[in-house]
Amino acid sequence: MQTRQPAVWDRMLAIDRRILYLLLFVNIVVFLLLPVQLKAVISPPARKFYNAIEKLQTGDLVMVSSNWSASTIAENKPQLEAVLHHLMRKKVRFTIMSVEAQARDLSYRIAQRIAKEYGYEYGKDWAHLGFYVNLIVAIKGMTTDLPATVKQDVEGTPVSQLEVLKGVRTLADYKMVIDVTPSGTMPLWVSYRPKGLIVLFCPTSVMAAEAYTFLDSGQVEGMLTGAKGAQEYEQLLKIKGQGAIFANCIQFSHVLIILTILLGNIAMFLSRHAREG
Amino acid sequence: MDWLQEFLPLSWERLNIWIGVICTFAIYSILYRENPFYRFFEHMYIGLAAGYSLGPLLVDILYRYWVEPLTQGFWAWSFVVPFGLYLYFIYSERYGWLSRIVIGVLIGASAGLFFQEFASRQLPQLNSALAKPLWQTSNNDVVISDVLNNWIFIVFLLSVLTYFTFSFEHRGVVRRVATFGRWFLMIGLGAMFGNTVMARTALLIGRIYYLLHDWLRISIGGG
Amino acid sequence: MWRSVWQVDTSTTAGIIAMVLIVLGAFLLMLGLIPLLQALPPRGRRVLIALITFFAGAFFAAEFFLPLTKDNENWLTPGVQPAQNVLQIIGSLALGLGTYGLIRLHLRNVVQRRAQWGYSVVLLISFLTMAFFSIWNTLAAKNLLPKNSVLVRGFEILFDYTLVQLDAAMFSIIAFYIYSAAYRAFRVRSIEAGILMFTAMIIMIGIMPLGAAISSWMGLPSEVPKDAHPFSLESILYALSLPEIANWILIKLNAPVQRAIEFGVGIGGLAMAIRLWLSLERGIT
Repeated sequence: MQTRQPAVWDRMLAIDRRILYLLLFVNIVVFLLLPVQLKAVISPPARKFYNAIEKLQTGDLVMVSSNWSASTIAENKPQLEAVLHHLMRKKVRFTIMSVEAQARDLSYRIAQRIAKEYGYEYGKDWAHLGFYVNLIVAIKGMTTDLPATVKQDVEGTPVSQLEVLKGVRTLADYKMVIDVTPSGTMPLWVSYRPKGLIVLFCPTSVMAAEAYTFLDSGQVEGMLTGAKGAQEYEQLLKIKGQGAIFANCIQFSHVLIILTILLGNIAMFLSRHAREG
Repeated sequence: MDWLQEFLPLSWERLNIWIGVICTFAIYSILYRENPFYRFFEHMYIGLAAGYSLGPLLVDILYRYWVEPLTQGFWAWSFVVPFGLYLYFIYSERYGWLSRIVIGVLIGASAGLFFQEFASRQLPQLNSALAKPLWQTSNNDVVISDVLNNWIFIVFLLSVLTYFTFSFEHRGVVRRVATFGRWFLMIGLGAMFGNTVMARTALLIGRIYYLLHDWLRISIGGG
Repeated sequence: MWRSVWQVDTSTTAGIIAMVLIVLGAFLLMLGLIPLLQALPPRGRRVLIALITFFAGAFFAAEFFLPLTKDNENWLTPGVQPAQNVLQIIGSLALGLGTYGLIRLHLRNVVQRRAQWGYSVVLLISFLTMAFFSIWNTLAAKNLLPKNSVLVRGFEILFDYTLVQLDAAMFSIIAFYIYSAAYRAFRVRSIEAGILMFTAMIIMIGIMPLGAAISSWMGLPSEVPKDAHPFSLESILYALSLPEIANWILIKLNAPVQRAIEFGVGIGGLAMAIRLWLSLERGIT
């Protein structure tokens, strides 16, 4: 019996996956090197995020919950940097806390670096409150008695000696919490926060779709979606950051992925058609 | 020549970058095929990650919440860690059940806290769904496009909820509504898929940016 | 020696000795409890675990449900903060359990010379080195240990230039797998798959700057005056632009779907929480 020679579409369906990997790699390298800079369209959640921070007054206190590790550094780092730039530009006081071990050091170093640009003094204008194992009980504890829950910052300074937390008894003394995270920590902030504490959300893109219901109900006031959100925010703040670089490259990878999916489906239909014929 | 001097690991800073690059290529080598180079760095990664977590755990948690109160004389805290160490009996066949006492504390606390989570998380969303204006009146300043969007919202919500109701068999009208619910669910899943692709691609772009910008010192377009 | 019933005066030598003895005594007491607990019959053990689970949950549930008096608290609220500290300590020991299990497994590999035990040696050396520097670094940040160039350099190499890079690289290879899987496995064989793919494609292009650029190239307006009628031609054309469609899908279509999922997960979670709290779930406690 004569066997049918594999047609073009059969060969396409059986393509070595390493060629696909190389294709994606080359696509990204090319579009990182090309001087393509398309302006972002500011999405409604990003606009609301920006407006919420713009409404803050000098001296207001904000909690930054930084819970990302190096695995999502490409998305969360540009977000955190842009947010800290905005907070310091507004001369707002802030404290940082983490429920991820790596996030403790990563966020501390980033804040130290940006604080130097704005002349922010550690202990007076900002502080890092360290690592917590369980976010729910940490929020509950801070809502009841923040000094007894926090006890000391990452440098071992007792809370009573931190000027940034002078007069702060509970989490209710904060104006807002900004959650920069790759995991499901935002619903915990929404669930256990004191009344009146505004929640802003900076997720990786994976977590973004699920957050739209919280945006709709007003439980979350604004959101920056991954690197794209960081690009929008950098554009609003008129600063240069990695968000714009990454987002501009992401879109062309999306084009490649879409074309590849379409190609795969066309090859499947033609192959099936040839077999049935 | 200047570029070559800047590129080679001739200073601490450049050596550090080269270490990062070797780590990256070691992990990426799995994409070609399984190899000992990848396995070596994979095991090193797991060891480093496990080792790193001990610092924050021991100092930020145990030292801050247990050692310090003890040094201040609050003696009642001395029972917490011995009690918590019962967890490690999980590896013993004979005494393994003791670990379930501590697990019971953690699970009981999580369960007790969940009531507040349900009330604060789901009920406002229910309220928001029920409060959506479905027609214009003289009292509200709702525009017609919002009314249409609100009707779409309610139809989508009820359809998907119908699809998820497995307590009875879907027949007749209910079956058709559930089918629409499944289609609408695909819209949500499509949004999640699109965002997931964006997230993962961003992580890869971050790595390649590191290789091009930090290691090869190539100027990145527009950056 | 005693400041109060709950606090020993540790500024005196007698106080320090008393605290050391109390801590040792606590360890011995908990160790001594083991034979007593072990003497319990299986039914008694289940009852003990169920009671502890119930009371642990009852505290937080009651604290939430009891009416609030002045200062926005009830009589259980002052207990929340110490309970928080206890749970943080136990939680950290629980996290340490994972690390302990990992080290135990690989130590066994090395001792018993199992297959590929060399990699276990690599893991154990990496673990010990990183643990040493991580603990030193965290203590030095709190000025409990001195900081020197060895610490700074060592921690920098291990954390910034090895762990961070390995972590980022490990998660970035998922992009390759997603791409390969999208080509090989994403087949539109049903209406549902078609809706999913179409929505994903609109989102992937629409929310990015390229979507706006494509719409602009097609002649669609990039903005519309605030006072424009919602059904004017300009408004309709603006609504047909890719960014607007993508945002509309996310905000108006995706949100109710996610809310329905939230309701389902929430009700299921509540049912599961009650079952766990009352120890009705077998095999957990």
